[in-house]
Amino acid sequence: MGGVDVGGGGGGRRETNSEINMIPFIDLLMVTISFLLITAVWSQMARINADAQVPGPPREVEPDKVEPEKQLHVEMRAPDKFVLIWKQSGTVISTVDVPRKDNLVVKEGKKTIRFPELAAKIEQEWKSAGSHRDASDKKFDQAILHTDNETPYVYLIGVIDAIYQPQRPLNVAGKTEQVPAFNVTFAVN
Amino acid sequence: MTIHEPGRRLLHGVPLKFVQKKVAGGGHRATNASLNLTPMIDFLIVTVVFLLITFSASGETAIPKGIKLPDAENTLDMIDAPMVAITGSIILVDGNAAGNTRAIEDSKRLQRIDELFNMLKAKREVWKQLHPGKEFPGVVILQIDQDVQAIVVKSVFQTAAFAGFPNVSFMVGGMPKTEKAQ
Repeated sequence: MGGVDVGGGGGGRRETNSEINMIPFIDLLMVTISFLLITAVWSQMARINADAQVPGPPREVEPDKVEPEKQLHVEMRAPDKFVLIWKQSGTVISTVDVPRKDNLVVKEGKKTIRFPELAAKIEQEWKSAGSHRDASDKKFDQAILHTDNETPYVYLIGVIDAIYQPQRPLNVAGKTEQVPAFNVTFAVN
Repeated sequence: MTIHEPGRRLLHGVPLKFVQKKVAGGGHRATNASLNLTPMIDFLIVTVVFLLITFSASGETAIPKGIKLPDAENTLDMIDAPMVAITGSIILVDGNAAGNTRAIEDSKRLQRIDELFNMLKAKREVWKQLHPGKEFPGVVILQIDQDVQAIVVKSVFQTAAFAGFPNVSFMVGGMPKTEKAQ
């Protein structure tokens, strides 16, 4: 048991050593551990962001016309390849084909798919043609996902995850954070 | 007759200290053993501190039965926002039914889901009344089953955007990042 030994204590005087009862302390620790273990969340949930390109409310004074920015169109309609197309106001700037390998992993009914080659190619494309790289730049490069109507959701997440692989610095409240370089949205058709 | 305390009697009367000590059993090893509790308490404290650090006060986000979420690597932390769940063909907004997806699946066309639109719009109005003068964040979180068709995802996405929630997040399972492919 825990105690305090101050020495002496002889000569008929009362003992000055004192013992602390550790049992309630250990009980408290045990109960705390049990509570925290029971209420612990083991499955980590997260989110992937997407931005719908919805026009804002009409303004009284129209802003000056700005040059439309380059956008990366990711085509996932073909079963054997992805097509990355940089476009600026409808004009195709460049096109790259990426071979598609669907390595769908099914574990206890849960499906997972990764496209590492696509992610690497998108990162390479952003490094060579991305417009918003500076940490002080609040804008993001835009990626538009084109997909079939029947494509299962798990494949969409696999491709969006690949698009989010390139990271860039961004100043947020005086701190520099690493954030995805692209903003993703869906093509209507 | 007096009652004597039980114990050893032999050689008790010898007035020599070393004999008394021997007779009382002083030469034997003590049978009481004390356990050192310090490492155990240290371990318990470290465990409590670790669990307290990793403890999430918000608890686990409820996922409706029947929804299997896909996993992703490049994710963001969860935030507090309205939840739209698609399980089978039923759409739920924070657990309340908000239409179904059968019409979209049958027609294979992108379309607005009116019930979902109205519920989200109502949520937006309530938020604005509760937070006057604040900018509406416009975030909605979609819990979608892994096998739902893209046309349904796009319809829900667009409906949410037109109801005033342009920042749409897809809820996924977090995965550790793998090495980048060269």
